[in-house]
Amino acid sequence: MDLTVKIKRYNPEKDDAPHWESYEVPADPLDSALALLLHVKWHIDGTLSLRKSCAHGICGSDAMQINGENKLACSVLVKDLVDDSGETVTFAPLPSAPVIKDLVIDQSRFFEKYRSVKPWLINDTPEPERERPQSPEEHEIIEDATKCIMCGACTHACPSTWADPDYLGPAAMLKAYRYTFDTRDDGTEERLDIVDSPDGLWKCYTIFNCNQACPKEIDITRWLSALKRRAVTSSASTAA
Amino acid sequence: MAVETAERPAAQATQPSAVEDSGRFQRYRIRTGMFAWMMHRLTGVGLVVYLIIHVWGLKSLTDPTAFNALIAKYHAPIYKVGEFGLLVAVVYHAMNGLRIVLIDFLGWSPKQKKLFVVLGIVALVLIAVGGYPSIYSLLAHYGAV
Repeated sequence: MDLTVKIKRYNPEKDDAPHWESYEVPADPLDSALALLLHVKWHIDGTLSLRKSCAHGICGSDAMQINGENKLACSVLVKDLVDDSGETVTFAPLPSAPVIKDLVIDQSRFFEKYRSVKPWLINDTPEPERERPQSPEEHEIIEDATKCIMCGACTHACPSTWADPDYLGPAAMLKAYRYTFDTRDDGTEERLDIVDSPDGLWKCYTIFNCNQACPKEIDITRWLSALKRRAVTSSASTAA
Repeated sequence: MAVETAERPAAQATQPSAVEDSGRFQRYRIRTGMFAWMMHRLTGVGLVVYLIIHVWGLKSLTDPTAFNALIAKYHAPIYKVGEFGLLVAVVYHAMNGLRIVLIDFLGWSPKQKKLFVVLGIVALVLIAVGGYPSIYSLLAHYGAV
């Protein structure tokens, strides 16, 4: 089949603002959306910029807005895109992020938020001789959250992020959940100090755009709700 | 190495500025969750505006004549429409509020779409039953029943 591929282009050296451009691309229903972009880049216009690396849904480089929704370009098939939107597929950079060129966004703000929730194991007890063990049942609690590949589809799909660039966003707070609910971690209080704030958990209005966008189908809202419950029952929040 | 001259500042030539594509309103596909939230916000703001008007109307409580005059005004058809709209807003806001409570307190996030449908049906029933008097009197006013 032949598709019309519309891409939101922006070249900082030439353009004042992003604009849409259309390309005719031959496609197989079982191609990934990323294949459409690579066809444009390799055969039509080599100046098209996008991030991609593994192209198999592991590295999380190619999150973008496809047909009006954040998706991972390599993890979505053409047949699922033309079903609901006809013969046109649109590509735009993730919403509400600074655009560097074409589909490439500046991720510094996203990763600043990630670092701010202390996404590492906090445990001051003396190191055991071997690893700190975790039972399968204990891992089960955080397993869904550990699947995150940090693509940014969720955070940039969130209306709370659009309205407040300082809002921590689902990705960072999912990480906070992943460590707070890790039975080997002792950092609950210091992490809650960060997420139990007006720019944190309480700007999650259970809109579910994050769940909808997540290429790993993580139930992000569910884990943020668990974190909300931990925040209101912990001593850290009652002291404040 | 970049050489800075008057014509070509090195920093500008190598670092074109990124364009900020931000703002609280973004074009995005509306699915169940975002639709529920948008309606929740809309009815919430509507109810706040209504409450202000309502409390302002109550100031006539101190004067019997003014109060009766105000109540008489409320029988006009436009207020019947408003009454029905108020009911719709209150019922929607309450039912979706219950949905959010179940999601946040009981962790029912996996059932959010089903909850929206089920509570939506409950809301429709409540609106039909509760809205019957205002719609009936509106129809009666125009001689339709």
